[in-house]
Amino acid sequence: MDLYEFINFHLIPGLLLGAIYALGAIGVTLVFGILRFAHLAHGDLLTLGAFLALGVVTFSGMDPWFALPVAMLLTAGAALLIDASCYDYLRERPKILTVMASLGVALMVRAVVQMGWGTDPTTYSTGIVRPTEYFGSVLLRERELLTFAAVILIVVALEAFLRLTRWGRAMRAMSDNPDLARLCGVDTRQVVRLTWVIVGMLCAAAGFLLGINTEVWAMMGWWALLPIFAAAILGGVGRIDGAVLGGLVIGLAEELSVLVVPAQYKSATAFVILLLVLLFRPRGILKGKVL
Amino acid sequence: MSTPLLTLDAVRGGYGEADILDGVSLHVDAGEIVVIVGPNGAGKSSAMKAVFGLLTVRGGRIEFDGDDITGWTPDRIVRRGICFVPQVDNVFRDMSVHENLEMGAFLRRGDLSAAYERVYALFPDLRDKRRTLAGNLSGGQRQMVAMGRALMLEPKLLLLDEPTAGLSPKYMEQIFQITRDVRDAGVAILLVEQHAKQALAFCDRGYVLTTGANRCDGSGAELLADPEVVQLFLGGQG
Repeated sequence: MDLYEFINFHLIPGLLLGAIYALGAIGVTLVFGILRFAHLAHGDLLTLGAFLALGVVTFSGMDPWFALPVAMLLTAGAALLIDASCYDYLRERPKILTVMASLGVALMVRAVVQMGWGTDPTTYSTGIVRPTEYFGSVLLRERELLTFAAVILIVVALEAFLRLTRWGRAMRAMSDNPDLARLCGVDTRQVVRLTWVIVGMLCAAAGFLLGINTEVWAMMGWWALLPIFAAAILGGVGRIDGAVLGGLVIGLAEELSVLVVPAQYKSATAFVILLLVLLFRPRGILKGKVL
Repeated sequence: MSTPLLTLDAVRGGYGEADILDGVSLHVDAGEIVVIVGPNGAGKSSAMKAVFGLLTVRGGRIEFDGDDITGWTPDRIVRRGICFVPQVDNVFRDMSVHENLEMGAFLRRGDLSAAYERVYALFPDLRDKRRTLAGNLSGGQRQMVAMGRALMLEPKLLLLDEPTAGLSPKYMEQIFQITRDVRDAGVAILLVEQHAKQALAFCDRGYVLTTGANRCDGSGAELLADPEVVQLFLGGQG
């Protein structure tokens, strides 16, 4: 295998998948940091985001990339609704109840998607396949370039929000020390709602990017859930930089695993990494919280 | 005599079913440092937490600056002008010193440069460490961040829960000195201390609690000279 083959068929797809996992893992990490529970509906919220984008494309006929911001807003709304109807009244109860509720939400959201759009895989745009672009011998499609650009833009914007704004700092404070945040006069319910808006937007972006690079189908998010959790835990739960790092490592590991093990074991890679991390470094590479 | 800033009148209450406080009465006037001492389990910290709405009050009254604040939620009490520095976990570890102060001023709008200047003037050590994560500071410096954070709201009353616990004598003296500086800047202070002797020596007035109720009170010097107080729990400390 020469270098170009390695770059074009393993490295770039690995980074691409990793960047998408990163967006999912940031969401998981935010929910765990601020609401202190493992959000099992994360994958299906991602599916919902992908299908809402599809709905916007079918309804308006606009370019899928322009449908993305609309889908992000819609999914943020859905996340707020889910929180208010399913998680809110469990807030003061043991967290395991919310975890189980989120499993129920996952199944409900998937059922809604299947009722609305069916169970067959589909794509955002049909018919036209754009020619592949080469940079030297490196092959990069337009959608891949846009995916990397979108992920970088979203991560930078989120970091800036968390570091530079009053409410962004309140989110970090609540993840750091919720009791002290309350003593500072932070309205924690407001922070919770803000978190769901951001998480919903991240889910929609991850779902859309996964869909535009592969295909859109009802189980896409459920299958992404394990690698996304593996990425969040690997990087260190509660840390944005950790989630990005973990996402890239898991994405690369999945794509590179085919070099050493048969391709059908690809999706087991994330599981193996998750087990190893939990055994040997449960707080992750960047020392996050213990899940 | 003017009305006290803070008054606790026969306060009873606890966390669960059992009462930890069994009729505690005390008051803090503007511009004074009042210390609560007592043996372990006497309800010192609970008395302070009752003021801040962190404990279920089942009897008695708590008044602050003309308002009955019994049963208020902590965020409402913060807005009213009382800030609380807990004994442990009192900083945001993953945030810089300056960001900790910014969180302290969360409820304030507008130009805060004067408030930062005030806090950095009280704690010059923090100025050099403003970009350092609070979790990487020493215990004494962390206590300063915690107090600085609480002072950003410019409260009328500051509650300190064992501010010198686990600190070296050098830092203990420094924290006491800063507490005096804060008082001189016009903030009344109520603090709980286990270093009873040192605390009574530096406070304006003190209360001795045993088993959730008042035992005796008076000026620091009076209490230190009281054979009963010495007998009770100061003896061991010489």
